[in-house]
Amino acid sequence: MDETLIIGIDLGTTNSLVGVVDSGFPIILADENGNRLVPSAVAFPPDGEPLTGREALRSGTVAPERTITSIKRFIGRRFSQLSEAEKSQAGFPLESTQSDGIRVRIGENAYATPEEISAILLGRLKTIAEAALEEPVERAVVTVPAYFSHSQREATKWAAESAGFVVERIVNEPTAAALAYGLDKLDDTQSVAVYDFGGGTFDLSILQMRNGLFEVVSTAGDTQLGGDDLDRAVAEALGNRLPPGQLTTEQYETLKTRAREAKEALSEQETFTVRLPFFRDGESFEIELSRDDLEKIVAPVIERTRPICQRAFAEAGNKRLESVDRLILVGGSTRIPLVRERLETWFGLEPNLSQHPDEAVGLGAAIQAGILCGRVRDVVLVDVTPLSLGIETFGGLMNVIVPRNSTIPTKAGEMFTNAVDGQESMTIRILQGEREMAKDNWLLGEIHVPFARGPKGTARVGVQFALDQNGILGVLVRDTATGEDHVLEIRDSAVDVDDDAVEKMVSESIDHAFDDMNERVWTEAKMKSEELLPAVGSALEAMGDRLSEEEVGTIKETAAEIERILGSDVHDAKALKAANQALDDATQTLAAMLLEAAYSEPDSSGPSSSSEREG
Amino acid sequence: MTNYFAVLDLPETLGLESSTIENAWQAGARKHHPDGGDEGGETERASELNRARATLADPTSRLEHWLALKNSPPPPDRSISPALMDLFARLNSVLADADAVTSKLKGSSTALAKAMLAKEAVAAQLAVQKMLQEIQSLKDEVTDRFEEFESDAESGSLAEASRGLAQLKFLRKWEQQGQERLLTLLDC
Repeated sequence: MDETLIIGIDLGTTNSLVGVVDSGFPIILADENGNRLVPSAVAFPPDGEPLTGREALRSGTVAPERTITSIKRFIGRRFSQLSEAEKSQAGFPLESTQSDGIRVRIGENAYATPEEISAILLGRLKTIAEAALEEPVERAVVTVPAYFSHSQREATKWAAESAGFVVERIVNEPTAAALAYGLDKLDDTQSVAVYDFGGGTFDLSILQMRNGLFEVVSTAGDTQLGGDDLDRAVAEALGNRLPPGQLTTEQYETLKTRAREAKEALSEQETFTVRLPFFRDGESFEIELSRDDLEKIVAPVIERTRPICQRAFAEAGNKRLESVDRLILVGGSTRIPLVRERLETWFGLEPNLSQHPDEAVGLGAAIQAGILCGRVRDVVLVDVTPLSLGIETFGGLMNVIVPRNSTIPTKAGEMFTNAVDGQESMTIRILQGEREMAKDNWLLGEIHVPFARGPKGTARVGVQFALDQNGILGVLVRDTATGEDHVLEIRDSAVDVDDDAVEKMVSESIDHAFDDMNERVWTEAKMKSEELLPAVGSALEAMGDRLSEEEVGTIKETAAEIERILGSDVHDAKALKAANQALDDATQTLAAMLLEAAYSEPDSSGPSSSSEREG
Repeated sequence: MTNYFAVLDLPETLGLESSTIENAWQAGARKHHPDGGDEGGETERASELNRARATLADPTSRLEHWLALKNSPPPPDRSISPALMDLFARLNSVLADADAVTSKLKGSSTALAKAMLAKEAVAAQLAVQKMLQEIQSLKDEVTDRFEEFESDAESGSLAEASRGLAQLKFLRKWEQQGQERLLTLLDC
């Protein structure tokens, strides 16, 4: 085993860390100012070198559009996969490259890809490590969200290589956190669930620890759900409390920053005053926010993590693990008291807070690095692949070859033959994802399988799909006649169209987007009203007698207001949206009563307890 | 063809306990994990161990692999038992009901509209759960015959075992469909 030092890197959406194992213990390295958390921000000043970390954030107040944060949300993705919301909420201008990649405009005619921006950050971490360790560092373990696809993993690896690293392993973040938790419990046998709710991603992984063998049993997640979404929900709620008027990008960014402060403060205290000095037209605002207000705002976002957890628990149940002993929380968003409260209700487990939510992943990365360079012994880590891997069938369906949650490394073979006489090759589309239709899954690329010329059905080529310990795919073709193996290149199949065509496509979609914004918002809101009004009618009929007269009154008034706006000739989208929201709020008790009635009926065991024990 | 029983150093028998398979895999994983071993070649070995466990842990794929190792021909006829036919008919209507509730839930954007559907959703969920229990007991009926399949094999007949496999494959597919529906209902 090669004994040169390997460092561990947690490349986070909001913050990044670098660590190493020293005399058997993992530690996080500090920069020259003693800071261990490096904000994942890169700024591109008009002249001079890019700034990173705190320096980048500081310059962000001057030039927000040149300061890139949360770039991890875009790494390894295609431009066409991004939703309108993702593009508009990024906070910096995103464009498509010729081959449907993503690039960020960082100045006059200057662009950088998410991978390049991540590489700059990784370079900073390398400098920090080298300064702290006083020796050159080349080898690294880098963490990624467990639910990252093959492409996102490849892109992360590429970024680290561009920063001058040899990437020894890509480790899943919740798995790394479990290593940090379990390092001093190597003699134990226990099962743990790691709830990893970070700045931009959410993962839940279930592991079994047996005498130093750390085995991931199942994992589920959402790579586009995190603290950013909480900040955005709070910013929007703050915006609604301001007097009506459009917000500029800078104002929205300010609101988001204040929202984040409020969110963080309200994890510790009961009330917080959001101050917005000279916010609009020289006018200042102050908004009083209580923890209750905050919880109402963020509850729907937190609720989105629940079905993901249930999925992971259900799959673990299918695979021999009925329940877990510990629930470990990592990621900054788990500091929110409501998250902890909800988890206790959902899973009946008291969250284990022994891990530092910001540092556990970095420490785990350091441990995995220590395992690989021989500084940590008697620990073995076995992980799974989060997403199913398959190929497209003739009918356009997804044919699963390696099911999700398969232990890696793994491989699976398929035989292919020529469908017509003299066919020289066939193209196979490789997919990752859980949807039934091939087109709904992530296209990893295409491979060309060569055939020896011959009559139909005589060629015999075995194709082997191998997922390595990093969750990265390799494809081997074995000629059954010679037994010879060829490694096939997975061609990124994004079509290269010529410049003009791309420009046209891009400008068309932008024109279209702004053209009828009001009308689109109106139509959406109208659909919601049309759904809400009859529901209110029948809900009041069923449960109305259990509400106070005042509550019924408010509901009826709000409903009447919606009717009035709907009936007016002017399509006031904003007013309709606000009225819908008001009715939504006014009927909360009613909705809760209906839910309770449905679940408390005889014979019903409720939604959570039934699914977790399924298997 | 790789013999997965041999990979895990286990006897080539159908009646393996899941703990036996687990222990065999664990011992192998500790010994051959790429991080613990010497160099690259271990990845190959680790992949095989993982495949072997995945194949043998599930009774359906275990039976399939066992039959394949014996070069078993496909089952003599493709008929399925009346009990299975009946289950299939009922399952389809239960799944269709679940899909109908799911699409109604997905189509409603407000908490109140969703709450109005909760009663229906709970009923659909319970119906799917009941089907899953039935599927499980039919699966158990087949796996309970594993010993019989083995003694048949000793006297040269694999027909019953491959009929059993056909049944298990149907049941496994339906089970997956049912589980998927339950999770989608919870997602809404």
